Amino acid sequence: MAAQSIGVFTIAFPDPTTLSHSNNDLVTLPPTVSFRLSLENNIRTLSTNGVSKGSTPHGLLYVPSLQSDDCKDIEKQHVPNNVTRVDDLPHNMGYSLVAFAPWLKQPKCIQQYLASARNQPTKAFIVYQPGNSTDVPPPMNDPSWGLGDGGSWKRANPFPVYAISSIYGAIVMKELKLYSGNVTEAPYGNTLLSIYNPSSPTDYIRLWATVNTGSGTELPSLWVFLVIVLGLLIAIVGATSFFMHLVQRRRRNDLRQRIVNGEVDLEALGIKRLTVPREYLEQMPLHTYVPRCEPSEVEKEGVPDDPRTSPPDTSSAVRADTGLKTPAPLPSNAHASADMAPPAPSAFSQPTCPICLDDFEPSATQVRELPCRHIFHPDCVDTFLLSNSSLCPMCKTSVLPAGSCPAKITNVMVRRERMIRRMRERSTANQGSTGGQTGHSPVFTSSHPWPLGSIRSHIGGAIRQPRRVFSAPERSTAVPVPMEMGRVDDVNRALDEEARPATAGATQTSTIQQADTRSHCEEETAHIPNRREWARLRALALLGHGQAPFVDVEEGEADRRPAWRRGLRRMFPGFR
Amino acid sequence: MSAGAKKRIMREYGECMADMPPGMKINFDEKNMTEWEIHMDGPEDSMYAGGHFLLKIMFPSEYPFKPPVVSFKTKIYHPNVSNDDKGSMCLGLLRPDEWKPPNKVVSVLRLIQTLLTEPNADDAIEPSIANEYKENRKEFEKNAKDWVKRYAK
Repeated sequence: MAAQSIGVFTIAFPDPTTLSHSNNDLVTLPPTVSFRLSLENNIRTLSTNGVSKGSTPHGLLYVPSLQSDDCKDIEKQHVPNNVTRVDDLPHNMGYSLVAFAPWLKQPKCIQQYLASARNQPTKAFIVYQPGNSTDVPPPMNDPSWGLGDGGSWKRANPFPVYAISSIYGAIVMKELKLYSGNVTEAPYGNTLLSIYNPSSPTDYIRLWATVNTGSGTELPSLWVFLVIVLGLLIAIVGATSFFMHLVQRRRRNDLRQRIVNGEVDLEALGIKRLTVPREYLEQMPLHTYVPRCEPSEVEKEGVPDDPRTSPPDTSSAVRADTGLKTPAPLPSNAHASADMAPPAPSAFSQPTCPICLDDFEPSATQVRELPCRHIFHPDCVDTFLLSNSSLCPMCKTSVLPAGSCPAKITNVMVRRERMIRRMRERSTANQGSTGGQTGHSPVFTSSHPWPLGSIRSHIGGAIRQPRRVFSAPERSTAVPVPMEMGRVDDVNRALDEEARPATAGATQTSTIQQADTRSHCEEETAHIPNRREWARLRALALLGHGQAPFVDVEEGEADRRPAWRRGLRRMFPGFR
Repeated sequence: MSAGAKKRIMREYGECMADMPPGMKINFDEKNMTEWEIHMDGPEDSMYAGGHFLLKIMFPSEYPFKPPVVSFKTKIYHPNVSNDDKGSMCLGLLRPDEWKPPNKVVSVLRLIQTLLTEPNADDAIEPSIANEYKENRKEFEKNAKDWVKRYAK
């Protein structure tokens, strides 16, 4: 491990050959009277062999001896004669040692230092490049540290090698000379002797070095830290993703269950465009058209239909704003009774096909009857149901049998449905809180344009107050209802009057078609907070695409998103 | 566009010609029957009196299951007509979710005419104009007439 700091102390300990004192007698001398050096910054770690993390190699400081004479000659320039050598330390007592040497220019001499250190219980080797620099020694892979062996010396020794800056190296070397034998030459030498070495003149006062390679509490290296953080992040992301998948899966199953139970109609909510499979379509009865009234009465004027025999679509209709099917009063029974009246099929109230506007010919035209009892030419409605929609073009009731469910419930569908449900709940809450206002007509104040507006419109939709599109009442008589529309309107009107108590007055019958449209509008849009903005967007979308803004959510959203958002969405379903 | 839809548009054109709302004229092109040009005079009892407006009615390929798209080619100061180069109009029975196949172009034309006389400020596409209509009718009428002079002469 890299050295964090190197400390050099002066210590005193008894001569183990004369006294059998334990190592506890080892005394660190105070810095006031002895040498002490602490290096923290100007250290370079050259080799980390034989030292583990957190350990602190330490030992008595000495200068290893050289073998060859030429090296000894060179050494003399840097190393004083009487520095601490192995011979100046207690022999074979198992004291750990720290070698100290100048980094001579000749690789051969350095190899001799290292070899010499290997023969001793050396725990660390501290070197310095001779000179006067106080800078950090050059880095580990600097050529000046090369010994011509390709750097293998760094691995060949059982001890770590550290370098300190030149000036400190020279200082320590000088002190090694002072504290190598008799300390009388050292500053305060006599004081030291008298205080710490009273028993025997052969007791030792020497330099001791400790290399601190970082404490255990210190953070591990940056890379380990990063890996841990990364791992944690991945774990969190993975757990979140898994959790969201789980939640989303539960929601999908929940939605499927509710669709099967008939509580939710995806297409009526505008969530998913469904089509009718051919086998369902073929189950819908084909009849020969029989006019409901006597042929003489089927006139162009359009006879007002009896509400009771008109299609029961209000009772089983899907509410436009909620998408919830109000529990139909036994629709299967109603259908069964219609089926039980063969051979003459039940009479039909629609005299024309609403799609092509052609009249049905009595006893000649084949008509397709949808479960909501609206009839059409099979040619007109079949392609529509097979390829465009599963809703009756007239009353927007789903023609799919109860319990049918699209094969794949996607997360987008779940999200849409939840959003619609939340908005519905919110508007229900609003309605509840302002329920007292329903009696007197609320005044529209423009200071709160939309909240009041939406509440008001919702209330209007909910209690089905007859409302006019146009504010001036006289217009209602000025606008005549078109003749042709009268007949189909009659159906609508009948339905409306069925649902509506006897509030329908004479003036509003002429505008009832518009009024009906209007209240539907409001029901539909009551859950959208900013209705105007919404209307505007819809209009723009309508023009932009040249068709209705019924975007099939899967394709529509997926195509517009960049790849990374799609990936994100796949990883975190439910993420917006 | 299916043959049925074409037949229906032809039929509706015939009905429109037979029962044309006053002040309207339809430019019908046999080759491109899904796009009608309507020339309309501003109703006499409205602030648009004296103006001549050009409208387009586009029939989507899913017609009559989808509503026709109405747009004002002449700029008009009206809460229900978008104030941009599209001049779109989307309310009432023109809404995709309100549209029913039995609705006819004649009723669409009548709706447009009625809206010129009586703008529907509660269902506006231009909120600022709608506000002005509700709160400052004089200013609204002045602006509307101004625009008629500027764009619809």
